[in-house]
Order: sequence, then C-alpha cells, then structure tokens
Amino acid sequence: MVAIELSEVTKSYGQKPVLRGLALSVEAGSFLVVCGPPACGKSVLVRMLTGLEKPSSGKILLRGRDATEQGPAERNVGYVPQSFALYPHYSVHENIAYPLTLMRMSRREIEPKVRQVSEQLKIAHLLGKSPNQLSGGEKQRVALARGIIKPTDVFVLDDPLTGLDFKLREQLFDDLRQLQQGLRATFVFMTSDPLEALALADQIAVLDGGRVVETGAVADVYRRPLHVRTMELLGAPPSNRLPGVLRRGAGEIRCDAGLFEFAVDASEAKVPPFDLQKVDVVIRPQDILLGAEGRDGLLGCRADVILEEDLGAEVVVFLRAGETPIVTVVPYGEREGTTEEGVTIGVDPAAVAVFAADTGIRLGQGVRHS
Amino acid sequence: MAVEGVTIAFRSSAVTCLLGPSGCGKTTLMRMIAGLERPTAGDVFFDDERVTDLPTRKRKIGMVFQYPVVYPGISVRRNIELPLLHEKHPETERRKRIDEVVEMLRLQDSIDTNVSRLDMATRQKVAVAREIARQPRFILFDEPITNVDVETKIQIRRALKVLTKQRKQTVIYVTHDQTDAMTLADQIALMNQGRIVQCDGPRALYDRPADVFGGWFLGNPGMNYFEQEVVEVGGAASIVSPLFPRPLRVIGRDLERRIVVGIRPEHVEIRGAPTPRAVRARILRKTIGVGGRYLLVAQVDGQVVKVKVAPEVGARAGDEAWLECPLKWVRVFGRDGGRRDVQLLDPAP
Repeated sequence: MVAIELSEVTKSYGQKPVLRGLALSVEAGSFLVVCGPPACGKSVLVRMLTGLEKPSSGKILLRGRDATEQGPAERNVGYVPQSFALYPHYSVHENIAYPLTLMRMSRREIEPKVRQVSEQLKIAHLLGKSPNQLSGGEKQRVALARGIIKPTDVFVLDDPLTGLDFKLREQLFDDLRQLQQGLRATFVFMTSDPLEALALADQIAVLDGGRVVETGAVADVYRRPLHVRTMELLGAPPSNRLPGVLRRGAGEIRCDAGLFEFAVDASEAKVPPFDLQKVDVVIRPQDILLGAEGRDGLLGCRADVILEEDLGAEVVVFLRAGETPIVTVVPYGEREGTTEEGVTIGVDPAAVAVFAADTGIRLGQGVRHS
Repeated sequence: MAVEGVTIAFRSSAVTCLLGPSGCGKTTLMRMIAGLERPTAGDVFFDDERVTDLPTRKRKIGMVFQYPVVYPGISVRRNIELPLLHEKHPETERRKRIDEVVEMLRLQDSIDTNVSRLDMATRQKVAVAREIARQPRFILFDEPITNVDVETKIQIRRALKVLTKQRKQTVIYVTHDQTDAMTLADQIALMNQGRIVQCDGPRALYDRPADVFGGWFLGNPGMNYFEQEVVEVGGAASIVSPLFPRPLRVIGRDLERRIVVGIRPEHVEIRGAPTPRAVRARILRKTIGVGGRYLLVAQVDGQVVKVKVAPEVGARAGDEAWLECPLKWVRVFGRDGGRRDVQLLDPAP
C-alpha cells in the first residue's frame, strides 16, 4: 500500500518556486530517506507533508485519500522537528506524554505508551528527571520519544540528528531502525549527510532543485545511479566530477573528459546522446586507483599528492592532475603512508559514469577494452 | 565536576585536539584556556607566563566558535581587516595577509559582499579567516564545523591542515568529531567525564587505545567488544570466544578472571567458506559506508559483530559467512575497561 503520494506538488514563495512539480510515492512500512544538498527544498517538503503549509498546486494523498487541504491536526502524521525544545518545567515523563495529553488521552492509556517508547529509546531510567539534568544526547532521545509517541503509522523526521555528537548519531542509527520496524510505521527521514542516508535507508529519494530526481532501493540506486546528483550525494568522500564532451563517430561514442578519453556504452540511455553533447563524468573516490601503472584496460594519468587524511580505517588522498582536483580513498592497510609527490592513477572505464550536463540524466558508462 | 585534575602541555606549532563526547569537559577546559572561565583550582600558563588571572582580551589568542562570530553589516574584506587595523599593521602587510587567507578559504567570490547577506557556512569561513590573519600566539577552535554543510566542512578542514603544516600556527581544536581529530591533530587529548584519558598521536591512539572508551570512540564504527571469562582448558588459562573456533591461551601476568576482547570491524576478515581459523556467522544487515566499503552486522554464536569489508564482497543479509579475527589485531582490556598487557595465543596455529 502506498502510504504517501505526492503528485505535481509545487510550492512558491512569491515569485520563487521552491518545489517544482515534485512527485513522490512512499510504500507503507518503509524507511524512506530524502536527501539533497542544502537549499534543495527539504524543509519545504516537510511542511507539505505535515500540513504546516499547503502546496501552491498539486496533490498530496495520505493512506490513499486526498489530504491536500488538511491541516496538521487532521492528517495524523507524527512530526519530529530538527531542533526541538523540551518543556523545562515538565519532567521527561510529562514531556514525552505531552502529545497524548493534548489528545486528551487518559492516564491509563498514556502510561504504557510512554513506558514502551522510552524503553525503545533506552531512556526509561530518565523519566523522573527534568530536562536540565540531561546531556545533549539524552535530550535528543527524549525529543524523539515525544515525536514518535503519537499513535499513528506515518512519521516525518526532519534531520533530527543534526549537530549531535558523531558517536551518538551512530548509536541512534540502530535505535531508529529498530524503532521504525517495531512500530511498523512509515518513516520519511530528511538528511543531507550521505553516510546517515546510507546507514538508515531502505529507500532513498534524491531531491535537487525542488524536484525528486531519483528514487529507489538504496542498494540499487547506489550501484547504478540514474541521476548525477544521486551519484554525487550518495557516498563519502564526495565523488569526483569532471566536465566532458561526447563525440559520435563511426559506430561508436567516445567521451573526452580532459584527463581521460574513453569509449562510452550508452545502450541504456533513455534519450540517445548526440555529437558534441556536454556531459558530467563522475568517478567515485574508491574507483581511483593509486600506482596502477600499466594495468590492462585502465584509464591512466599522472597526478601529484596534495594532502592525505588518515581517518583510521581509511586514508583519503587529495591529488591534483594538472589543474584538476581528484580525491581517492584507500583502506589504511593499503596505503603505506608514503608521501611521494608524483603518482600514476588508474580508473576502470566501467566505473566511470556519464550524465547529460543539462538534465543530469545518466547516459551510460565507460567501456573497458582488455 | 566538569574538569578534574587535568595536566596537559600544548605544543607550539602543532594542532592539539581536545576530543570527546558532549559533557566530557573539553569545552570547559577550552574556556579556562581562553579566560572565559576561571579554574576552581590549578593554573594556566602560556610558555612561562601565568595567565590564570589574565582577562581574555589580554591573552592575545584567536577564537573561533561553533556559530560564526562576524562583524555585521560590513564586507568580508573589512571583517578580516579590522583586527589588523587595530593592531596597526601597515597596508602592505594587511593586504598580504588578507589575500593569503582569502585564497586559503576560497572566499574570493564573496570578498566584497556584506557578511549579513552570506549564509552561515560562509560566515564561519570568514570568522576562521579573520582569526588566521591575526596570527595570534595560538588559535582556539570550539567545534567550528559542527553546524556547516559537508562541502564547507571539507574546505575548512583542508585550510586548517595547510595552515598548520605550512604556517606553523599553534592550534587547540575542540571537537566531538573523530574525523576532525584524526585528520587535523598532531596530538589528540581524548577526554571522558572530566578527565584526559589518553594523549597521543592519532594513529597511536587508534591502534592502541588505553581503554575500551578509546577503542569505541575512535572508529567508524568503533571496536567490537566481547566479555570473556578466563577458564582452564587443558591446564592452561584460556578463553572460549565466539570469534575463534577453538579456545585461545591467555598469556600475561596477574591474570584476572574476566577480560574484554576487542577488535576493530575493518580487521575482521570475511571468507566465503570455512578456513582453519574461521567461525561461522550469519549476516543480519549490510549497509554502505565510507569509501564504498560495506558494513556488515553479523551474528556469531548469539553475539553481534560488525565487520567492514571491501565493495567486492558479495555476501548479503541472510547469508552465512565465515569470519576470521587475526590475533595481531585483537586488544585485551580488563573489567575496569583499561588495557591489559595480555597476549592471546592460538594453541594450534
């Protein structure tokens, strides 16, 4: 069943459209992560979903019924905001129970729900405390508990982990997933952090320029991104992007991306590529191999090492090939810690994705000749 | 007590990170160094000068905070220039420093823009630029990139790296983010509950944490931990661990009855078929992590193990897998969490 459906949703503020004909379909019981760069329209989408604002045009269906004109109270959608404020004069227990007291639920009904939700978020031992006695992480859990205690099946979480301790966020990933599965609820979760998106999502929707440019199961969308923004956003460190141009010749298409020149397999392109078409060539950092001289079929070029970052388990290496910055990442054990200046880098053409520069739509990938 | 009995010397021309979770005392410690708070006991020295009673403005230090602090209503250039004017630097020197720092932080496009019109991330870059241009005796950074987007984070981090390596600026950097610390620090002071629990170079801290907190806090994700009881097997002190197919001998002095065995996810190796040192596991979940490597959550003998594997590994959730834990990567801790000098030996290697 489709829990949420948005079709042709547009939202403008004055003359400025922020959401442009946005379409989105969310299966009931799924954990959908909506990710996009800053200012892509995520916060406005949250307001559309929760009913805090109405769209300028388009339709919003909740649980199969038209909810476009409904306000937050009628929609029965739970909401966990980005920055919360706990009521300082209420106990943790009262804070969590608050949405239910607002609904005029009886004490007898509220009690077990508060207990359940606080146990799920591992804060049952804090129920008697007051917010000023809690650490930042504990406050966030209380806010989450308050957000999800509402007896409903659809929740919108607006980047609730932002600004939190890195380690705390990591802990909360597991808790959030268990929570969602335990509740059997639909979660729509907004974030701009790629690793957070990859850790939490079943499904991903990539937002760019006010539109959903790609959706799908996270593994599928990662393996074969159909839009340039998807490939850029989903991954850490961020992917390398090079401008290029296509050349259609005798029975083959080739791409010239400055540093690399290669044949392109565009057999699955939705729109046939044309001669001199401008493209964006995207390569993930882990597909840039260091010291790969002479290996068969690889694209290669020389580069200088600018900077190395030891992350512990991985090393991120910043290079410059001519004027072009390139980023690669290797497992720590494979990087001997040498800082020789000039290296040869190699790339398997099949790992190089080609996207139309104007639309961002995938045209194809490089062809490896052995 | 926010900070307890801390003694630390910050090296000049180096970056020292105060790293720890929220509430560990790092910000309080930083505020005492800055003069924004007074220690209840003890002293703060800059070289040989006792500054404990000196007000902040006389300490000649730079500070960058979590939220950008900029002079509103004026351009980026003026923002950077004002403290230099105050310190009476000649025009050529001011221009040189401004150009350097604008280049370092990629502020060329906004240099003449009114800062009130810039977004928060860019304003933070301006705050950083201003402090760098002042070239104070040291710069204190208090979680400066917590609230900025990923792209700006990367830019500021790289600028700081250049700053310290090339310009020999002394920096004290407070953060909860291990990536900041690992990439920026020459020295990390790891803090927990008001104390410095370990002070070491990043690599040393990562490879040889002094306690389970260190092993957990550093690492994305941190170490796997297993509580073990030391028992007698064939007359020798041993542990029966879910990570090994046979009991392991425990070698060490003053052996305790209970130990904690730790291993990092990237050191657990995965095999498609049983090998002499492998144990059987079931994969519960697979997600994508840094560099496209997979993070597997596996179950071994009822216990959870997190494993980091190469993108080429095809095993999926629900699959059976075989896991090997090379003993050279295993760390042993006591029940109190502190590291123990204990070796684990495979009796039948």
